[in-house]
Amino acid sequence: MTHGVTMQVGMHSRFETLLGSNRILAEPTVLERYAIEGISPRVVLQPENAEEISAILRVCNEQQWTVVPFGSGTHQEVGRVPEAVDVVLSTEKLNKVEAYDPGDLTISLEAGVRVANAVAACTEYQQLLPIEGEGGTIGGALALAQSGPLRVGFGGLRDFCIGISFVTGDGVSGRGGGRVVKNVAGYDLMKLFIGSYGSLGVITSANFKVFPMPRQTITLICEFRLLADAIRLRDVLLTSPLSALACEIISPAATEYLRDWEPRDPDHWAPETPKSSSDTPWKLALRFAGSDRVLQRVRRELSSSISSDLNGEEETELWRQIGMFENRLVARHRNAMILHLEAPIAQSQTALEAAQAAAMDYNFVAAVIGRATISSFVIGFLPLAVDPPGVMQYAAAASDFRSRLSRSASAVAVRCPREAKQHFDIWGSTPTDLELMQKIKRALDPGGILNRGRFLVG
Amino acid sequence: MFFSGVSSKLKSIAGRDAVLDKHEDLMLYEYDGSLARGEPKYVVFPQTTQQVSEIVKLAKREGLAIVPRGAGTGLSGGSIARQGGIVLAFARMNRILEIDLPNLRATVQPGVVNLDLSGALTPHGFYFAPDPSSQKACTIGGNVAENSGGPHTLAYGVTVNHVTGLEVVLPEGRTVQLGGAAASSAGYDLTGFFVGSEGTLGIATAITVKITRLPESVATLLAIYDDVQAAGNTVVALTSAGITPAAIEMLDGWTLRAVEASVHAGYPIDSAAVLLIELEGLREAVEEQAELVSQLCRKCSAREVRRARDESERQLLWKGRKTAFGAIGRISPSYYVQDGVIPRTRVPETLRKIDEISRKYSLTIGNIFHAGDGNLHPLILFDARDADQTQRTLDAGREILEFCIGIGGSITGEHGVGMEKQDLMCTLFSDSELEVMRRLRNCFNPDSLLNPQKMLPSPRTCREAVSPGHPSLDGPSVHSEVTLQ
Repeated sequence: MTHGVTMQVGMHSRFETLLGSNRILAEPTVLERYAIEGISPRVVLQPENAEEISAILRVCNEQQWTVVPFGSGTHQEVGRVPEAVDVVLSTEKLNKVEAYDPGDLTISLEAGVRVANAVAACTEYQQLLPIEGEGGTIGGALALAQSGPLRVGFGGLRDFCIGISFVTGDGVSGRGGGRVVKNVAGYDLMKLFIGSYGSLGVITSANFKVFPMPRQTITLICEFRLLADAIRLRDVLLTSPLSALACEIISPAATEYLRDWEPRDPDHWAPETPKSSSDTPWKLALRFAGSDRVLQRVRRELSSSISSDLNGEEETELWRQIGMFENRLVARHRNAMILHLEAPIAQSQTALEAAQAAAMDYNFVAAVIGRATISSFVIGFLPLAVDPPGVMQYAAAASDFRSRLSRSASAVAVRCPREAKQHFDIWGSTPTDLELMQKIKRALDPGGILNRGRFLVG
Repeated sequence: MFFSGVSSKLKSIAGRDAVLDKHEDLMLYEYDGSLARGEPKYVVFPQTTQQVSEIVKLAKREGLAIVPRGAGTGLSGGSIARQGGIVLAFARMNRILEIDLPNLRATVQPGVVNLDLSGALTPHGFYFAPDPSSQKACTIGGNVAENSGGPHTLAYGVTVNHVTGLEVVLPEGRTVQLGGAAASSAGYDLTGFFVGSEGTLGIATAITVKITRLPESVATLLAIYDDVQAAGNTVVALTSAGITPAAIEMLDGWTLRAVEASVHAGYPIDSAAVLLIELEGLREAVEEQAELVSQLCRKCSAREVRRARDESERQLLWKGRKTAFGAIGRISPSYYVQDGVIPRTRVPETLRKIDEISRKYSLTIGNIFHAGDGNLHPLILFDARDADQTQRTLDAGREILEFCIGIGGSITGEHGVGMEKQDLMCTLFSDSELEVMRRLRNCFNPDSLLNPQKMLPSPRTCREAVSPGHPSLDGPSVHSEVTLQ
């Protein structure tokens, strides 16, 4: 492998010319920490700006070195197992708030800024940046099209991201949108990059609308014996004048993941199956904002459905727990499979029933939370403690579930044991034309070096 | 020849009565709501997606440009047949295909008129939220192409926030699906990417949109000012205070007098500016916000704050706003409307700047803004028969937009780039940024036969735009090519 070694030395010195030596990590122990699905990169690079990223990508593209854009690494197991990982390109040093204009309700952030820090900066001005996934970075949230409960009240990233800058796979700097809240000059590249999972370019910064922080909120908990009854209240809400900030459905099996839990070493401990008894209800957690009079009206209209209400710290805590749901599933069940389901609104019930059924048939228990009014759900397929599913059963459960959905629904397996990934397509089907997606991928990443093999097309 | 080969082929695809090819007919399709003109060789009225696909394939074989057209109300020349060719007019693809209440969606053909969709939804308690001022005439296909806005997009978002699925005919003739009824789906969000592409990527033949429930309560306030700066300050104060009305529109004194002379909307003609502020939602919330807004307006030196007492008064106030362009048309032979966007904190200084530009070029400029989202519509009055005035008008327009770019804004908030602001794209975006956009266009429209010479400037235009000493010989610059009405 003399050739390989010389090549590596050659690349190393080229990177050093671009970045100096401090921002190049190559110690084996460090590289292991950045491993993607068990594959350690040859080098981790920490550029400080878009120009450096562009220079790095030009070199990598020319030498056919594959690159994985890397934020805080909280979601690097999403996607297919990569074909190769040569460079991990960390956005850690791109961590500046470029501009924040509270009077205009807009903020510009570099890609490596932690979501939690950006949210905190806005909170200081009583403003809300409704990005979810506190452990992650801004670039990561965009790449994943991260969404959570607040999507009901404030829309998703596609609705409030107003500008984006990035570098394509072959090192060309691109930009879409700008810093103003209304803008149709040029193609809407925000839409293209949100949810592109690092397959089209490296996001370097983005601009967002922010919102006035609601002065007062309450959360109403409604309990139902049957999913159908929960969906019925959801339908009432959809046609009522009340507008919720959040409308989260919680399945019986999901309930126990919404409280703090001492993680145990998964290597030495077989996690228990969630033990929802037959009397654990389905729940809707409805969050509303407004004055006393508005909230009184909300209570009045929903009075026959409310089981309990929360405000203050208790309320904040519930939403914090909901935000951590996915992490909780993974912390307890190392072999959990998690699907993100997006379905037409009228199909919520059949889709969730299909998930329950498919789970049961293949030795899983399904735990669900999600945005009921937009029909966007997180479904955990949790292995039974006794007689857990075999590798093929992950594939079977996912295909069985997907076969019960309509063509316009998507169910992406965002987490799944590595061994199971090769037996099915974690991305599943999409209503959108694949040939066009393929062309776009080739246009912005002609060398195919970005996240090679991991995305739906590429 | 009376019937060219292309003409008879088009007739065999779309029907004998669905093709125009005579100069006197084609003249009606040479313009839109902008200042530009360009006569197509043929106008075709397809009735099905299949026909659109066949026409596109024919155009490709013949090397003819295709320009999709809705109602021709666009303000940036998006539907002008710049290279002749075929105008694909969607007047006969105007059916609402499905109103899907359980999924809160409607699917329409591109030629459905914006307000007709809301009209069909109202009995069910819903409407289509994007509301361009031309909504009585403009089509949803056009709204998708331009990513149209309107006064109420402040609260509800522009067209892209309401489109979830598209059926698209590509320039190669292939029909593809993007997205669907779900709010999002796996893979790239090509639905979102397509909206606002100004007819340069493909032709939408079916559009699935979100439908919005009608608000329970609406309050419309008219805040009246003796000083235009005070009105601008109010916009800043409202935004900063975190009050989010459904709409905040501003008309300056000159514009509101022109409107009053035309429609008697009830704007006091001795005022320097008015703000038209609308609050929507739950009855209790609307009442409280109306009170808060009134207080804030007064604090910012509003002379008076009126509230529409009933729906007819409300409609009248809005009629003034929505017909403002028409009202200006009554008093000036021509006008040139800009669509710049600025950060909302910069409204007062931008008003001063526009005033300065108006003096510098000795032109009357009326101001009408979607103030709540910083989207300006300065109206420059001129007489197109006067070449000098026309040039000053174009220069003034350009200076306003350059000012917008300079303070971190944009050249267009909702009208699109079209053929009118192409050279300013070179100021707004770098060469490499434009190169990325060109690559993406080429994924869909590699020969640029679909709506050629729109939105993206040619690399050459940009080189010339930055060195004004070399006037364009045949480049698509607004200055040399636009034929004025």
